Amino acid sequence: MAQQLPLDELSTVIARIQGLLLTEEKVNSAVRLLAQAAKESVPGTIGAGVSLMDARGRRTSSGYTDRIVAEADATQYERGEGPCLTAWATEKPVLLQDIRVETRWPDWRRAVAGLPVRSVVSAPLIAGKETIGALKLYAALPNTYDESSTTLLQLFAAPAATLLSHIQASEAPHKMTEGLQASLYTRDLVNRACGVLMERMGLTHEAALQWLIRHARDENTALQDVSARVLAGTPASGS
Amino acid sequence: MTDHELSRPDSSMGLEQEQSRLLRKALQRSGVRHGDLWLRYFSIGGTVGEYEVDAYIQSLFSLPAGQRDLLAHAANELIDELPPLPRAPYLQDLA
Repeated sequence: MAQQLPLDELSTVIARIQGLLLTEEKVNSAVRLLAQAAKESVPGTIGAGVSLMDARGRRTSSGYTDRIVAEADATQYERGEGPCLTAWATEKPVLLQDIRVETRWPDWRRAVAGLPVRSVVSAPLIAGKETIGALKLYAALPNTYDESSTTLLQLFAAPAATLLSHIQASEAPHKMTEGLQASLYTRDLVNRACGVLMERMGLTHEAALQWLIRHARDENTALQDVSARVLAGTPASGS
Repeated sequence: MTDHELSRPDSSMGLEQEQSRLLRKALQRSGVRHGDLWLRYFSIGGTVGEYEVDAYIQSLFSLPAGQRDLLAHAANELIDELPPLPRAPYLQDLA
């Protein structure tokens, strides 16, 4: 039985109506503004960035205040390691006080050795139960950040994550499609079965629905199963 | 007008009240949420909106008999799908 109905467009329409879909342009500008505000909140910061990630840790969008951040960040995703990925994965803030003293992320540190980056602080963006990305600050001098900058960044990350999770809703229509397809498919199935019964037995729509309910009750099955059998042309008992 | 004729609208209203009250009770006991009930009801051809269905469950709104039965059927399908209560094992089951 073909369960695949061309409903993708319908779910997109619903998502549009509910305002779930925002253009990529809007996401990028929101992320960029957030990075700018984060940069200005901690003195000594030479650049800030925000990365949004999907459930598998792949970067979906990002915003930076400076090119240095873009480079240092891109290196993290290339190497698959770095303070922001750790913040994202552990759901805890990460403080890197001096890149020359640090022992974690050897690959990433080697790769960014040529950049004027000495210290980093990164906080996960947690919306509800989901970690949607990380917020990070980079500084050119060592020991620029301490526990208080971590706390500050976290205070910043909480409302930002909530906002961004609403913006990052491009996956929503896909999630919605599955449920909507199933729901509209069975609804269609029941209504077609009603149509068949109306023609076959000269019933009204109301009476056809009652007929289906009665048979589903008698046989202790779901209405959609009875409907599918009617459509398959199986002679139903009691007709 | 006979007593019988007089009592008819009253008794059908009483039946609707009873039907919605017992549906409400079934939902409470089974923990089936109103939103899930409406979705199933919609999925099997229900034509009444979620808001109206919610009001009917609270006995604040009247629905046509056919839609009431369809709603009852949707509720029963969901209740039948609930996992059964755990049963106590016999010693043999554990060995």
